[in-house]
Amino acid sequence: MTGTGHLGAIIVTSSTPLWYATRATGLVAMVLLTASMALGLLSSVRFQRPAWPRFVTLGLHRNLSLLALGFTVVHVLTTVLDSFVSIPIQDAFVPFISSYRPIWVGLGAIALDLMLALIITSLLRTRMGLQSWRVVHWTAYLCWPVAVLHGLGTGTDTPVRWVLVLTACCVLVVAVLTFWRLALAWPARPLASTAGVVLILATLIAGGAWLRVGPLSPGWSARSGTRTAPPAGASRPDHRASR
Amino acid sequence: MTVRGSAVPSAGRPPAPGPRDLRLIVRDEPLSLAEHTACYGPLPSGPPDLLIAEVERSGLTGRGGGAFPAGRKMRAVAGARGPARTGRVVIANGSESEPASSKDGVLLSRAPHLVLDGIALCASAVGADRAYLCVGHAAGTSDRALARAVAERAGAGLDSVPVEIHPTAGGYLAGQESALISALNGNAPVPTFVPPRPAERGAHRRPTLVLNVETLAHIALIARFGSEWFAAAGTPGTPGSALVTVTGAVQRPGVREIPLGTPLGELLHRCGLIKPAQAVLTGGYFGTWLPLPAALTVPVSHEGMRAAGASLGPGVLAVLPAAACGLAETARVASFLAAQNAGQCGPCRNGLPALAEALNWIAFGQAGPDIIGWVEQLAGLVAGRGACHLPDGAAGLVRSALTVFAADVQAHLSAGPCARASGPPVLPVPARWAQ
Amino acid sequence: MSQHPDGGSSRQPPLRRPQLRVNPIACDAHGLCIELLPELITADPWGYPIITPGPVPLRLQPLARRAVAACPTLALMLTSPPR
Repeated sequence: MTGTGHLGAIIVTSSTPLWYATRATGLVAMVLLTASMALGLLSSVRFQRPAWPRFVTLGLHRNLSLLALGFTVVHVLTTVLDSFVSIPIQDAFVPFISSYRPIWVGLGAIALDLMLALIITSLLRTRMGLQSWRVVHWTAYLCWPVAVLHGLGTGTDTPVRWVLVLTACCVLVVAVLTFWRLALAWPARPLASTAGVVLILATLIAGGAWLRVGPLSPGWSARSGTRTAPPAGASRPDHRASR
Repeated sequence: MTVRGSAVPSAGRPPAPGPRDLRLIVRDEPLSLAEHTACYGPLPSGPPDLLIAEVERSGLTGRGGGAFPAGRKMRAVAGARGPARTGRVVIANGSESEPASSKDGVLLSRAPHLVLDGIALCASAVGADRAYLCVGHAAGTSDRALARAVAERAGAGLDSVPVEIHPTAGGYLAGQESALISALNGNAPVPTFVPPRPAERGAHRRPTLVLNVETLAHIALIARFGSEWFAAAGTPGTPGSALVTVTGAVQRPGVREIPLGTPLGELLHRCGLIKPAQAVLTGGYFGTWLPLPAALTVPVSHEGMRAAGASLGPGVLAVLPAAACGLAETARVASFLAAQNAGQCGPCRNGLPALAEALNWIAFGQAGPDIIGWVEQLAGLVAGRGACHLPDGAAGLVRSALTVFAADVQAHLSAGPCARASGPPVLPVPARWAQ
Repeated sequence: MSQHPDGGSSRQPPLRRPQLRVNPIACDAHGLCIELLPELITADPWGYPIITPGPVPLRLQPLARRAVAACPTLALMLTSPPR
């Protein structure tokens, strides 16, 4: 399998470059989506500084959202093209029909659908009623955690330390900004804000517990439904074996 | 006084003009349907276009304060998009949210059938299938007379479109055109952003005609006696007669019907002006002060008032005695107006209370000379920047007070509030409406 | 470059130019329009926009459209020129 004539064949048919691309674009998309979420939250709390006017927050939020969608599209394409595991294109849009880790890939489909709804409605914002746009935009609070969960559940890199740290940073940023948003949302009802904060903290703790007994404990690959056995001769580095 | 007037014939021939002293209000008790018919003649009928053309020719302008040509409004609603001449809504505005005005309440209690005639005529002219008569809080006695009048007409089968009586919510803005429509649509009784205009989309999303009850009463008479008869009184700029409410330093306050163009002095003399009087507030709490006795020559008409820098509005004239303090009165009214803001528009919600507070400082407190500049700045900041005309009216009122009572301003700034400022208030400010 | 007084092209006569208008009920003083179009919109003491009346000059129309799209409550409007 040497020689330039076969190089193209290797890149196209070998699953390893595509698999790396899937993981890389997935992680980058998560970071970009987190940044977009953070900027959206900053916008809703009317954050501004003399050197950071509000239109910067708005413009960055818009551009990073589009970039996140771009990376997600590449992520989906590399997954579909990757012949190692059969994930046809419809699995990326219709949740839970995949044969590979159905729940966790399904979450990815949900996140993608929501992202498309968010971006399309925002591009058409001046043409649709403000209230309709607003209701759709609230689903961002669902889209982001679903995307993160998808990454944790589907991603084979979850046990890797720097990936865990990166994910934890993303979660921390969004959690803190959401607390800020809640505090300002209902100034007349501190009870509601406190309830929201408690709910989020509970979710975080539950998420951490799930991580421990799920992706971070041995056998997750099988439990999550990785039913396709690797073809003879092909191999993928087993992170758990290397730790 | 009974007059046999001829109905507007469908052939289009103008009727012989009747005596022009025919009044909107002929006596103190309400006219029953039979008395009304005997006095004015039966409810005329005719093609819708004929009535609209007649009203346009008459030059009748709205008597609720807006002074918009009534015929043009009718034509706009009749010709609005949607199935022609069907599904429109007519709203008779008798809310009278202006505290110093009582003409609508008096008209509704003395001559309800004129107003109801007007509603029926407009409903058939624009093609309405729903009609509302919005009545304000102060119409205590007129509620009974109205209910009786509606029942009489139902018995006689007069109105093809039943009139629903709707109580207007309390508050200065509740009687505003878009606020009324908003309330009828089930929303809060506060002004809405225009466009869309009521003539295009108003109550129940249909083209809506909103007219003051006095305007409708005039339409009922124009339909009977024609536009030339109507315009025989009044001025070319403001034809016809109008009801005015005179309060304050007069011996005989109340509602009077006058031919427009009557000099203010003549009207106040008829009401028994108590001299010395220092100023008169024209046009209601939205309006402007005029100094007395200089303003006695001003004709009570739209163009006459405008030339004097004032406005006729809904025909409110409140005379300020020399023993009162114009600044104190204006400060009280300004505080009332500020409290009445709907809380929807930032400039008004922030600016009006600041404006009222500054004026209160001038009237009742110790203020430095730079407060005048601050008041001027605030008035300029709020005017024209709300969804309704509340900030414009308040700014205009305050500006006119600073001009007309300039001497008082100087005295207050140098020596503090005058003794007259702590006297009893002249202008009525409803306490129960304060938000 | 034409020497038209408003600095823009003379192809678009003033009567045909759009005007900026704000819906004061929807406006919540986010202030993005003031940041994006300081040539025509300034802030009052409470953060609400004061719009310079009159038609929008041609060279500022793309910026005006951007400001309209940026308003979080869609309170800023560019009214089409009257027919």
